[in-house]
Amino acid sequence: MAVVNQVQQPTDLPETSLSPQETRNCLRMMMLIRRFEERTYREYTKPGHHIGGFCHLYSGQEAVAVGLAAIYHQGKDYLINGYRDHGHALALGMEPRAAMAELFGRATGCSKGKGGSMHFFQAQLGNLGGHGIVGGHIPLGTGAAFACSYKKNAGVCFTLFGDGALNQGAFNESMNLASLWKLPCIFICENNGVAMGTQVVRSSAENDLAKRGSAYAMPCKNVDGNDIDAVISAAREAADRARAGNGPSYLVMNTYRFRGHSMSDPLQYRTKDELERARQNDPILIYEKRLRSRGIIDDAALQQIEHEVADIVNDAVLFAENSPYPDLSELYTNVLSETYPLQK
Amino acid sequence: MPVIPFKQAIRQAMVEEMERDESVFLIGEEVGEYNGAYKVSEGMLARFGPRRVLDTPISETGFAGLAIGAAMCGLRPIVEFMSWSFSFVCFDQLMNNAANIRYMSGGQFKLPIVFRGGNGIAHQLAATHSHRVDALYARVPGLIVVAPSTPYDARGLLKTSIRSDDPVIFLESEIVLNETGEVPDAEYTLPLGVADIKRPGSTVTLICWSKMVKLCLNAAAELEADNIHAEVIDLRTLRPLDEQTILESIRKTHRAVIVDEDWPYCGMGAGIMTRIYKKAFDHLDAPIARVCSEDTPVPYSHPLEHAMQPSVEKVIAAVKEVCYV
Repeated sequence: MAVVNQVQQPTDLPETSLSPQETRNCLRMMMLIRRFEERTYREYTKPGHHIGGFCHLYSGQEAVAVGLAAIYHQGKDYLINGYRDHGHALALGMEPRAAMAELFGRATGCSKGKGGSMHFFQAQLGNLGGHGIVGGHIPLGTGAAFACSYKKNAGVCFTLFGDGALNQGAFNESMNLASLWKLPCIFICENNGVAMGTQVVRSSAENDLAKRGSAYAMPCKNVDGNDIDAVISAAREAADRARAGNGPSYLVMNTYRFRGHSMSDPLQYRTKDELERARQNDPILIYEKRLRSRGIIDDAALQQIEHEVADIVNDAVLFAENSPYPDLSELYTNVLSETYPLQK
Repeated sequence: MPVIPFKQAIRQAMVEEMERDESVFLIGEEVGEYNGAYKVSEGMLARFGPRRVLDTPISETGFAGLAIGAAMCGLRPIVEFMSWSFSFVCFDQLMNNAANIRYMSGGQFKLPIVFRGGNGIAHQLAATHSHRVDALYARVPGLIVVAPSTPYDARGLLKTSIRSDDPVIFLESEIVLNETGEVPDAEYTLPLGVADIKRPGSTVTLICWSKMVKLCLNAAAELEADNIHAEVIDLRTLRPLDEQTILESIRKTHRAVIVDEDWPYCGMGAGIMTRIYKKAFDHLDAPIARVCSEDTPVPYSHPLEHAMQPSVEKVIAAVKEVCYV
């Protein structure tokens, strides 16, 4: 049941205003995320259980996170996400050390070892977290957009979720509220074609997922989520619109995940043929080819990036391995902000 | 001192805090143009405008979650649920998001938010609109649960709740909303996590909160005829629990009855009893008794609805049981 890119993608190649250095950085970040995720896979499956729990890898979808990060206004904007959240955290600027240490459950992790793979947070960068309940975080994204609008600071919230979340009430309630109140919320569906093991054609009565937003009086658009330039262009248009006070947009980034839903997924719902075709659309290969043709990178530059990201990921794993577990007293901290009895 | 209804005291607290702090806003169904389903927010839209008093569609998940997200980004929302029974529609928002995000993020986010609204059995609203959510939320680490019984307590506790940096579940008995009491004009706040002895006594301790306080005071007055002097403790905050006030009272009276509008099984009373048995077992002269609603859905028909709930007679019977009279 091939569902990859079944929806017609826009054919015009959008121009972005990134400088050559910025495009190189984007490619490098995509490669770093891929390397990080593939290493996570290895660490997870190694004997010794360094990484536990549910772990959802982002390999194949990197163009979306990195494209959004390229237009993200740090200090003003917010991003909130479902549980496939490693890539977005790294793209926004999380130290790979803090990310890997969180996976290892260490005190030095981005959430002090209390969140794990599905709950990467970084308040300082406006990263409102990865969230474990499908669709449950989407209303929070409208809330962050509401806060931007309330404070009139021209910030926006990028609210990301998977194709599975469209079938939750939280998605529909949030789209309605955001449009009703013209909130600066960019709703982004990362459509990798399959919710855990249930393909879009088996879960959505309407297979064109962009149409699922058509009842909410906002721009709805399919985007080639494997093409970072397309991601940037569509996201920038939506963000500009939101910043100008014209309300939310809904973008469906059509992409593919190379790995299973989580680590225990044997991928029985896919054929080799389907995966092979998806590999042809690998967002990193697409971008690498484009930057080569523009003369921005060459073999030597690419090799250098590969070495750099390999070193960074090795360093992150070493850091995580050598970090302490949280002190047992940490069990009781961060439950509440205040000490009770409380009088103010 | 002015005598005002409970709902006006709630409104006073919200208005004062919104005057005091620009980041406080009110959001919920019918809170604005309709002036509140129970008229709690009457006049607030006219006073603060639609930016700070927001009428929502019937979307509990949408607006409760929106408020949580706004709280993560520095605002201080007050969310009104028309009825706490409707909070089940957005249970995920309260249980997974409001209660957990601070912890899950290693303390990076605070959640200054108040969820408030009508709770409990009112007048023949039948099973779906009569839920008592006290114990459901009081068992959740990461939440504060407040359930006042008087207008005075309501105003002072709501003000502190709005100023708290933690998510507060604020329960307003739909029956108590129209009851009146003395409330001073001057501003004041009351502490969260501190019970109040509504009537001192020496023979038995009645532990109660919200709508059950008045019931217990009435029972205590009648018990005087039998020379039983009941001490009535109004918990006011259900989480965190003011153990100290409870234990001090039991060390004095040696007997206790817990009166709860909710079902008996796994209810607040069970949790309170465990703590008393653990810390004051040797001070007890009788097993603790509990008076709860019957273990059935809430019926519509008035006589059935009345029979389902705690009553003065049931409380008196329980007190006599623990006093062995």
